[in-house]
Amino acid sequence: MSEFDPLRSLWSQQKEEPFAMSLTDIHERASRFQTRIQWRNAIEYGAGALVVFAFGAIAWETPDWGVRAAVVLIITGVAYICWKLATIAGAARKDDGVSWADFHRAELVRQRDATASVWRWYLAPLLPGVVAFILASMFSPAEDVPLIARLGVVAVAMAWVAAVFFGIAHINKRASQKLQEEIDKLDAARRG
Amino acid sequence: MSEVQDQRYAQAAAEFGAALQRLVRASEANPERRRDLLQEMHVALWRSFAAYDERCSLRTWIYRVAHNVAATHVDKERRFNRASVTLDDIEHLPSGANIAAESEESDAIARLNALIRQLKSPDRQIITLYLEGEDARSIAEVTGLSPGAVATRVSRLKGALAKHFIETAHV
Repeated sequence: MSEFDPLRSLWSQQKEEPFAMSLTDIHERASRFQTRIQWRNAIEYGAGALVVFAFGAIAWETPDWGVRAAVVLIITGVAYICWKLATIAGAARKDDGVSWADFHRAELVRQRDATASVWRWYLAPLLPGVVAFILASMFSPAEDVPLIARLGVVAVAMAWVAAVFFGIAHINKRASQKLQEEIDKLDAARRG
Repeated sequence: MSEVQDQRYAQAAAEFGAALQRLVRASEANPERRRDLLQEMHVALWRSFAAYDERCSLRTWIYRVAHNVAATHVDKERRFNRASVTLDDIEHLPSGANIAAESEESDAIARLNALIRQLKSPDRQIITLYLEGEDARSIAEVTGLSPGAVATRVSRLKGALAKHFIETAHV
């Protein structure tokens, strides 16, 4: 690939533009980058805390112990999801000096694992709380509704929850398969 | 932060500053975002030298870091509003006549950069490294692909780009 190539010649004709970034600028930008990461983490934890606070207020206010228990289950599920999000969100570092294929593969594997296990870390932790909330709300002693109507509402609510959960699982399963295909293609190119 | 880290960065910036600018032009069309990307690349390079362990040459290391920064940037941009094409699609790209109207110094260079920007990874990395004068072995070290796969792709990319240039030159 060392023969004269007009494209290479054209490429090398590009003029260098003035660019000044002193070491002080670099140090400052690198330190700002760290601060930005810390802020992003703080915002994520803050959002989780807000959800916990909102549901906690419901649990505090409601006189129904069934609803209260359901809300506690939801809070536990949300807290678990936040923790899992924080642990699986770590993308490969761009400044690790690894090859593009290793860098890209690490990111694909991370996304594949997250989408393939969405039942375990996202849907399953929410399920007990959501089901308990529907049941507790519908069978609350305070509600003066005929049993058949309650059962009907529970059935519709459960069917809706099941449809949403299976929809999320299906979308993620397809995404996971596509990511695996990309990983296989990349591995084939690495082997040559 | 150590003095060695600063020295290595200064050496890298002096030797590869122009190559980084060319890579940035082939990765981002918008001048403001291009400047940000170049700055991000320099910061990533400086950060990377804290962990440089000579497992590969300085040249390979610099290209790896720079290309990983560029690839991340392009992927992020593409998720929002950009389209990329595969190696097989490049022959069906629209004429360069409109692209050449971009405010760059040379129409041909602008067209070349615009074409490369539309390529997907790893074709974009491979062709920019080839244009920088790297051989298949060096490109393989930076990208992590096999030298054979790189040589095949370089040949196809060169052919596709050259064909596109000849066609648009006659528009």
